[in-house]
Amino acid sequence: MIHDFAYLVTNYGQAFVQAYLVSLRIAVLGFVGGFLVAIVLTVARVSPIPPLRSAVTAYVEIFRNMPVLCLLVFIVYALPDLGLVVDYEPAAILTLVLVSSSFACENLRTGINTIDAGQIQAARSLGLGFSQIVGSIVLPQALRAVVQPMVTLALSVMISSSVGSLVPIAHKELTGLVAEINNTEALGVTTFLVAALMYVFTGLLIAFVGRRIERRFALWR
Amino acid sequence: MAMTPTEAALFEAGGPRARRRILIGTVLSALALAALVAWIVYRFYVKGQLASQYWYFFAQLNVWEFIGMGLVGTLRAALGAGAIALVVGLVLMLGRTSRWAPVRWIATAVIEFFRGTPTLLFIYAMFLVPAQMGLKVSTYWMVVIPVSAYASAVLAEVYRAGVNAVPDGQKEAGISLGLSPAQNFVHVIMPQMFRIVTPTLVTQLVVVVKDTSFGYVVTYPELMVNAKVLIANFSSLVPVYLVVALIYVLVNLAISRFANWLSRRQDAEILKVDTVMPHAVEV
Repeated sequence: MIHDFAYLVTNYGQAFVQAYLVSLRIAVLGFVGGFLVAIVLTVARVSPIPPLRSAVTAYVEIFRNMPVLCLLVFIVYALPDLGLVVDYEPAAILTLVLVSSSFACENLRTGINTIDAGQIQAARSLGLGFSQIVGSIVLPQALRAVVQPMVTLALSVMISSSVGSLVPIAHKELTGLVAEINNTEALGVTTFLVAALMYVFTGLLIAFVGRRIERRFALWR
Repeated sequence: MAMTPTEAALFEAGGPRARRRILIGTVLSALALAALVAWIVYRFYVKGQLASQYWYFFAQLNVWEFIGMGLVGTLRAALGAGAIALVVGLVLMLGRTSRWAPVRWIATAVIEFFRGTPTLLFIYAMFLVPAQMGLKVSTYWMVVIPVSAYASAVLAEVYRAGVNAVPDGQKEAGISLGLSPAQNFVHVIMPQMFRIVTPTLVTQLVVVVKDTSFGYVVTYPELMVNAKVLIANFSSLVPVYLVVALIYVLVNLAISRFANWLSRRQDAEILKVDTVMPHAVEV
C-alpha cells in the first residue's frame, strides 16, 4: 500500500491536485450560485403574490426530490433534443445550482420563520416600513439562524460535485480521475482512499470555517 | 400556499393601493409563468418532441411494467440500505457516546469518513477494487453498501439527537431504580428515543432513495438504468427521463408526507440534525 502510494504521488500527484481544484471549482460555483438564486426565490416565496409563491414551491419540491444524477443526465443528454446544448462542466455546475438553490431556499424560509411574528408587528407599530422591517429585523436574524444548515449544504454540494465523473468533463474532477486511473491500471484501494481523504478533509475544513462563522454570528435561543 | 404567521405578519392588511399592486403583480407574474410554460411547450413542438413516435409506447402495458420493475429495484436497494443503516447507525451512535475514549475516537472517525466521502466515489471503489482482487460482488451490494455507509453516519447523529431529546428525568429515574447503564439504555432510553426519531428516520429515506440512482454507474437495474434501456429501445430521451424524474419526485414527496403524518401522530417533531457541526445540536 505504501509502495502504491509512492507510485501514485510520483505519477499522478499533479493530476490529483488539478482534479481536486476542478472539484472545488464546481462545488464553489454550485454553492454560491445556488445561494444567490435562493435569495431571489425566497423573496418570491414570501411575497404576497400567489402565483410566485406557488411557482417557487413547485421549483423547490421538484429539485429537492430529484436525484442529482437524474438531473445531470437530463441536462446533458435530454436537453440537446430540445435544442439546448450545455457543455459538460457548466452542466454539472447548473445541476448543483438548481439542487442547492432549492435546499437553500428551504433553509432561508425556515430561517425567516424562526422570527416571532410579534417582532414584526412591534416594528410595524413603531412605524417601520416593509423594507426597514426586512432589512433591519428579518434578514439579519434569518441569515444567522441559517448558518448551520447552509454549512451542511456546502458540504453536500462538495460531495455532490462527484457527479461530474458521470460526464466527460475536459479536465477530470477528483472522482472521475480516480475511476479513470483504476480503469487503466489496478492500483486498488489506495487511489480511492487518497481521494476519499481529500474529500473528508475538505469537509472538515468547511465545518471548521462554519464553526467560526457560527461563533461570530449565530444567535442562541 | 398557506402563509405562516411570520410570513403573514410581513405584510400589512393591504389598503386599496396595496391590494391593487398585489393584483397587478399577480396578473403579471401569472402571465410570465404562462409565457415560460408556453416557451417550453414551443421548444418541444419546434424540435418535434411532441410527435407520437416519442410518446406512443407509454400506452403499452409492458413499458409500464418495465418502469415498475425499475422502481422495485430502486425501492429494494433503498430499503436494504435503509435497514442496514438503521442497525449500523445505532452501533456507531453507541460507539460515539461510549465511555471508553478509543471506542469514541474510532466511531467518530468512521462517522466522519462515511459522511465526508462521496457515495459515488465509494460505488466506483466497490465496482473496481473487489474485481481487481478477484472477488465477485453483485451490483445490488455495489449500490447498497456505499449508500448505507453514508446513511449510517447520518443516522448515528439522528439517534444521538434522539437520545439527547429524552428528558434527563427519565434517565435519572432509570438509574435510581438500580438499572445498569445498559439496562437503562435498552429499557428506558431506547424505546423513547425511537419514538422521537421515527419521523426523522423516515425523512432520511428520501436521501437514500435519491442515492440509489447511482446504481446507474454499475448498471444495477433500478429506475435510471431501466430508463436507459427504454431510451435505447424507443430512442425517446426527453419523455422517458421526464417520466422517470416525475416518479422520483412523487415517491420522495410521498415519503415526506408520510414523515409529516408520523410526526403529527407521534407528536415528535422532525429533528434538524446537523451532521457537519454536530456539537451544535446539543446547545
